[in-house]
Amino acid sequence: MLKLYDYELSGNCYKLRLMMSFLGLEHTTEAVDFYPGNQHKSEAFRQINPLGQLPVIDDDGLVLRDAQAILVYLASKYDTSGKWYPCDDPAMLGQISQWLAFADGITATASAARLHDALFYTHIDVDAARSGAHRLFRILDEHLFFAEEIGQTWICPGDHPTIADIACFPYIMLAEEGGVSRMDYPAIRRWCDRFKRIPGFKVMSGVFPAGPAADQSAA
Amino acid sequence: MTTDLQRNWYPIASSTDLPKRHVYQAQLLGREFAVWRADDGYVNVWENRCLHRGVRLSIGINDGRELKCQYHGWRYANRTAGCTYIPAHPADAPARTICNNTYPAQEAYGLVWAGEEATGDVPALDGFDDLTALRPIPLIAPMNMVAEALLEYKWDESCKGARNDEGSVTVTASDGTAVRVFVQPLDSNHSVMRGIYNRAVSEDDRVALLKRHSWLMQELRDRIEAQAATQDAPEPYHPVIAKVSEDLVDIPAISEDGRTADLRVTVTRKEMTAESIVSLRMEPIKGTLPTFQPGAHIDVHLQNGLVRQYSLTNGPGETDHFTIGVKREPDSRGGSVSIHDNLQQGDNLAISAPRNNFPLRRDSVHTIFVAGGIGVTPLIAMARALNAQGLSFEFHYFVQSDDHVAFKREIGEFEGALSIHTGLSPDATGAKLAEILSSPDNSRHVYICGPGPMLEATREIASEKGWSDDAVHFEYFKNTTELDDSSSFDIDLARSAMTLNVPAGKSILDVLRENGINMSSSCEQGACGTCRCGVIEGEVAHQDVYLSDTEKAEGKSIMTCVSRANSDRLILDI
Repeated sequence: MLKLYDYELSGNCYKLRLMMSFLGLEHTTEAVDFYPGNQHKSEAFRQINPLGQLPVIDDDGLVLRDAQAILVYLASKYDTSGKWYPCDDPAMLGQISQWLAFADGITATASAARLHDALFYTHIDVDAARSGAHRLFRILDEHLFFAEEIGQTWICPGDHPTIADIACFPYIMLAEEGGVSRMDYPAIRRWCDRFKRIPGFKVMSGVFPAGPAADQSAA
Repeated sequence: MTTDLQRNWYPIASSTDLPKRHVYQAQLLGREFAVWRADDGYVNVWENRCLHRGVRLSIGINDGRELKCQYHGWRYANRTAGCTYIPAHPADAPARTICNNTYPAQEAYGLVWAGEEATGDVPALDGFDDLTALRPIPLIAPMNMVAEALLEYKWDESCKGARNDEGSVTVTASDGTAVRVFVQPLDSNHSVMRGIYNRAVSEDDRVALLKRHSWLMQELRDRIEAQAATQDAPEPYHPVIAKVSEDLVDIPAISEDGRTADLRVTVTRKEMTAESIVSLRMEPIKGTLPTFQPGAHIDVHLQNGLVRQYSLTNGPGETDHFTIGVKREPDSRGGSVSIHDNLQQGDNLAISAPRNNFPLRRDSVHTIFVAGGIGVTPLIAMARALNAQGLSFEFHYFVQSDDHVAFKREIGEFEGALSIHTGLSPDATGAKLAEILSSPDNSRHVYICGPGPMLEATREIASEKGWSDDAVHFEYFKNTTELDDSSSFDIDLARSAMTLNVPAGKSILDVLRENGINMSSSCEQGACGTCRCGVIEGEVAHQDVYLSDTEKAEGKSIMTCVSRANSDRLILDI
């Protein structure tokens, strides 16, 4: 049985909770006390992930770390529709990988600012983290604005979201907990609404649900 | 203090920034707005905070009709920003005074405009009859520095910039193409450049045009931000969030006249909705109508001097008009006949603000509506509210014949939840009611409105089946009780420190008014609940149809328009 080493307030763990919910994957969860227990740095946990980071999965003995890597694995193995990570489409895979790397940048900036403000990571240079997040959000907002212009709903082309959307969503949504406002990014804010309406969407602490979309007849 | 800046109109969004069911976050001169488009197209610009705990409404849910706060679910109506429902108080109608701050808004030139204290129309822009709104570019710099730098904005060498009177910059090229850029001051050191291009462009050229200007303006943004970073940031604006006014905080003064008619409306549509039932659509002569809640009624002051109460049938968010249904009563005392025969489309009427003595709980697992004849009207508004929220209900409508079915379009929205029971005898009606009310349950609520005998029958059946009084809600539209006003007794007014005598032939309400104590009233026949008053001591002779049997037995309330005392003295909480 698939097992997720999870911390409720972690956006990176949330990525996997979202993926598993979208795919309807049964799994067990082992809670790791990230704060205040610092359990992810414990000897026991470092034997599972020497980097001492969450999330980690254990799928019948295959132990994987890194949210983006795990998204690739889960989508490739369990998504029968092949839409979350279209393995046979090199152009899509290239674009998805590009945005997975971008999501890592969001973690390094927006999530770092949140760790500083909300979880007492006082050694972080929060001004640098915030301005780094704004630099990335400007780029993503422009990308999403022009995606809408050509009728594209998601970060990558096609009529279905991909793991790139999942990888970017949590720390954008939690950015305000690190003092990074989304007000300047209206295209990102609209994409967040669309993302929250994906069937199977789940919330976490600090992430609120969207209301239903306008039905087409009323539009 | 109002400054010139506050009186200006500024664009705060592109029209395309407001798709349906989205809440846009804006800011102007340091003040945040929650901006949302209702399904009827109306653009709402509100203070970005819930009146309850101050949570930003820009993270709320736009359901197309109302905006719901994410924190405790307070709901606010389209247009009025009045609170329509507080989930923690499901049995109470929110006070009319719970209303968020709204700001002037207009949509023009592909942009949404707002201003804290703006009046009149947004500036007319010559030469922009056809246009394309460019991608807005936010930046960290003061408004004046941005406007100055925009004079140098160029997409080819012939471009020349000029400042317009209202502060925007127009850049024109030799081929006649022009871009006019408005600078929205979010705060003293935070702005947005909002450009419009003076041509409509084809789909094919559109993206290229937008991309080119997005790129050029971002280049300009980077230069301006570099310059701004070398200077000390100006002091941020300190917007004053208006406090709730004193008169709203205090217990509202009892109105001078129990029946005020503050609102003036025009009857914009009068049509027969069923056999002998006319529907009236009323729109404000100016301004907006106050917030209503499902179940509310208004007083209509008729041209012949009579005052009549009618329930609103509006669905949630229908805030640009009120709709009522009026049945021509065969034994009319002049109210319904006047509306049917004399009132014309285009006539003006005086009406009261909506009053809700028939509040709808939205926390029941399932709601049963039982309507008889014209009693359907308040229940339509209630069921439309539940329907819009996707809450479970069933709607039973008892009518004489198909021709008597009113508001067919509105009740058609209920689809499978609607059952119309046509032409049943009193016995058959009783049997049907017994079937509808066969399984009492604390998690379900029943709302009944209809003719007196049917209400009595429904209340009896509900009681027999074991429904508690708390779960059965009813509204009479008239009191058919034979009133006895032969008694004489004293009333002690605990808060006013007065003792008055109520003689035979006069009501408590009459005596209160004669002695300068104003009391709200509406129907003045013991049906509507408006003149309800607390009883501290004494035995009440109830003659109203508003209070439930339990409430009557408790004896803690009295309808001052019809009810009297069985004891020599009543102590009232006035």
